[in-house]
Amino acid sequence: MSAGSSAPSLLTRFFQRALPLYLSAALLRVILIIYGLWQDANSPLKYTDIDYLVFTDAARFVARGQSPYDRETYRYTPVLAWLLLPTARITGNPLLDTAWFSSGKVLFAAADLVAGWLLERILTTGSSGNGGNGRPMRAATARKYAAIWLLNPMVATISTRGSSEGLLGVLVTALLWAVLARRVTLAGLLLGFGVHFKIYPFIYAPAIVWWMDRERMRDDPGKRRTGLGSRLTAFVSPARVQLALVSLATFLGLNTLMYLLYGAPFITHTYLHHVTRIDHRHNFSPYNTQLYLTSAFPTLSSALLRIESVAFLPQLLLSCVLIPLVMAKKDLPTAMLAQTFAFATFNKVCTSQYFLWYMIFLPLYLPRSSFLRNKTLGSSALALWVASQGLWLQQGYELEFLGKSTFLPGLWLASLGFFLVNCWILGIIINDVAETGTRVSSSSKKTVSFDLD
Amino acid sequence: MRERITFVQKLGDSLEPSVINVAGNLISGPEILATREDKVTLALDELPAAELQDSLNRLHELHIRWVSPVAYQAVSPLLSRLPPGFHLFFTPGKDDADPVSNRLCQTLSAIFGNVNCSTPEESFTSLPNDRFSHSSALQYFQPLESLSPFIHYAKDQLCSPSDASCAARLDGLTQASSLDVSYDAISHALKVTATWPYQLQTVHATSRSQYRTEVGILSAEKPASLEPYELGISGLLTVLGQDSKPSPTMFSFASRHRDAQSAFSTKFLKPTGLHPILKIHFESNKPPSDDSYCSPHAYFTLPRTIFADKYQLADDLFLASKNLTALRYSSQPVDLEAPEYVMKRWGSAVLLELSPPASEKAEPWTAEVPLHLRYLSPAAGGYETIQVPYPAIFWACTAEEGTKFPSNPFERVNLGYDGLFGPRTVFWHVEPRPEAGSLLVNAVKVPVLDLNKSEWVNTGTAIAVLLGFAWVVWKLAAVYLSSGHERDSSRAVKPSERKKKQ
Repeated sequence: MSAGSSAPSLLTRFFQRALPLYLSAALLRVILIIYGLWQDANSPLKYTDIDYLVFTDAARFVARGQSPYDRETYRYTPVLAWLLLPTARITGNPLLDTAWFSSGKVLFAAADLVAGWLLERILTTGSSGNGGNGRPMRAATARKYAAIWLLNPMVATISTRGSSEGLLGVLVTALLWAVLARRVTLAGLLLGFGVHFKIYPFIYAPAIVWWMDRERMRDDPGKRRTGLGSRLTAFVSPARVQLALVSLATFLGLNTLMYLLYGAPFITHTYLHHVTRIDHRHNFSPYNTQLYLTSAFPTLSSALLRIESVAFLPQLLLSCVLIPLVMAKKDLPTAMLAQTFAFATFNKVCTSQYFLWYMIFLPLYLPRSSFLRNKTLGSSALALWVASQGLWLQQGYELEFLGKSTFLPGLWLASLGFFLVNCWILGIIINDVAETGTRVSSSSKKTVSFDLD
Repeated sequence: MRERITFVQKLGDSLEPSVINVAGNLISGPEILATREDKVTLALDELPAAELQDSLNRLHELHIRWVSPVAYQAVSPLLSRLPPGFHLFFTPGKDDADPVSNRLCQTLSAIFGNVNCSTPEESFTSLPNDRFSHSSALQYFQPLESLSPFIHYAKDQLCSPSDASCAARLDGLTQASSLDVSYDAISHALKVTATWPYQLQTVHATSRSQYRTEVGILSAEKPASLEPYELGISGLLTVLGQDSKPSPTMFSFASRHRDAQSAFSTKFLKPTGLHPILKIHFESNKPPSDDSYCSPHAYFTLPRTIFADKYQLADDLFLASKNLTALRYSSQPVDLEAPEYVMKRWGSAVLLELSPPASEKAEPWTAEVPLHLRYLSPAAGGYETIQVPYPAIFWACTAEEGTKFPSNPFERVNLGYDGLFGPRTVFWHVEPRPEAGSLLVNAVKVPVLDLNKSEWVNTGTAIAVLLGFAWVVWKLAAVYLSSGHERDSSRAVKPSERKKKQ
């Protein structure tokens, strides 16, 4: 890992105790927030993300008793605006006002740290490996992996610029932790809230439900069922029913509350917008060029089947059915990583914020991944991912800033290339859940494939 | 029906009455350097088409202001300016579900050619009506280079086939710098005003027996008694068929539109990309009036292909770096994301206050206006060129307390920006000059999806998605076939379970 002779011991000592890691993660964010304040005050180029201005504007509307949706392009749950209410505080003291205004960034940065700490907890309680039955990891090792998230400059920059994705990180890790700790009610609450907050966490529901079998939840030990009817009754376990009810009640309860408070704009901006929007602006999605074309000529019917009109099929089939079915029971964290990866890769819109959605799972997956075992594979996967993304970014730059018409073939091919690289990586991640099993005991192949409920 | 023809010369140029010949219904004189304005007032029942009468009768207020894209010099008192193109200010009648309003766009298309609106509700924007009741309710704008369709329509409606002079007069509109058509329910009259640029022209006019024609040959005047907020005019007035010789006149009046006596030009910074920046070059940063507080403003009517982001224009540091003070007004709504081809609204009107450098000595300066392009429809070749009209730029100065601006003979209201200022604001117009050529528009080359290369998009995307999908499914299948979907029970069996197995 390092060339210096004293570095390994220094590195080991760094992870030996919790304080150095969390302190440096916190310090990194404090420095970035303060640097951001300086840049915002002194440069016309702002450090603060546009989205943060949207959130805080919305919070100001709420503080005045108005709807957060009075702010154009506010497309989030009112909860976010409520959480950021302190940013709307005006004391009259400019220094204090700036501090209040930045409090949202502090919240997002704190969420990063909590997510990192939850990652460490999941790794050390040993519930992450092998579908929740892995051996607990040494705390120092766990922190080394948690550092992939905690000390990741990309993660720290995104949250200190004021993007709310960090909140999602903590929600998702908390959900995973609650599930692995078999705290079903908490998991249901988090799942319902997560879906209310950002929709996409609904993909985790089938994986969690599938994972929560009776055997795992220890509520019906030893009993084997064979008939279809009894298998069905075995499937509808108390834990699964409890999770479904709690998460559904949370989701519906929150939505009803928000609808009562803010009416139709809540539904329109938070949910319907994502269904009706025409995402013509170039992004990483393989469908982007096709969508631009068909949104401009909706009546053009040259092709029998337009792939983008059925785009949800491969996306949902993978992320909500096949991946949970095959992977969830073997390794829940890796299954959730693969689900998120598939969801983002096959989505009709894909921007770099989506990468953060799956990045949170990397510390849980990498310890057992073939990317780390096989350094050549790992580095070529990373290189390909970066290179294909770089190619796209270069084409995007020529379009956005130089005004060159790179839509075809440049951007289109680059997005397809990036998509295929992502699919290849996804294939390896999927393969890894089998590898971890077969590598430990290759003789168990036969018995395992017949080991059904 | 009444007609007023005015030739306006510059300060110091004036004609002796002796060089003007008045004979019956004809007036003639020498060739002079002047701006010409023709104003025709028609009662509703004098309109040729009954359909048109009926339509106008049902609306409350309608003001069309067409401005030529060809740069022209304005002469006092005809100083007000607007961005080049077709402007419409409109207040519908009381009946909400008014069929006239709904057909307005079609009627306008029939008269002016390609007017790209659907209905006022979908295509127009609302003007703020909280400040002055005289503002109309709705606004529409689009670039429109030529009046040819209008001339064709007017000839068809107004001139008999044998009347060559009628046709010739309407053909003269091809040279016009602006055309105003105004109607309001209070006066019940349609006023059509055309102006021609400051150039050499012969004094010549005839009247017809059916209506009164008044001809003025005027020039700006600066008598000692002139108040600072007033314009002075002197010259010769003749009512054709009535007067046998021109009668000298001199008068002054308060005017809200003045000449700042400086110029500006604009161009887009290269490369324009998808976020073009319009650079405005000013000749001078010197305010036109020392007696009152003045600051320069730029009024844009941006077609829907391009827009300003009000959130980007909210940061003081950012604004200051571009020599801007603030975004004072933007018509609503402005969708910040939608592509051009799904938008029905005409675009947006934007008023920016600019921030000139505060130096004692007059010096040239620049301001930059950041704008954003919408995605345009795919096209063969991969590029589309859009035309962005020049803004109207003026110094807005506040006249002293108690100054009144009563209506004057050359008054022009409902310009879009006048209603955004208080009643004591005086607009000192800065003259727009083309950066190159003669037109007051800037072209932007917009990259679009190249239709010539698009035939493989559908198939190619489908193949790639299916390939990726198949690869992932195959991997999943391989895992399933080798180890099923259960957790690997051979490994890490729990102690409790181990006991049971034993």
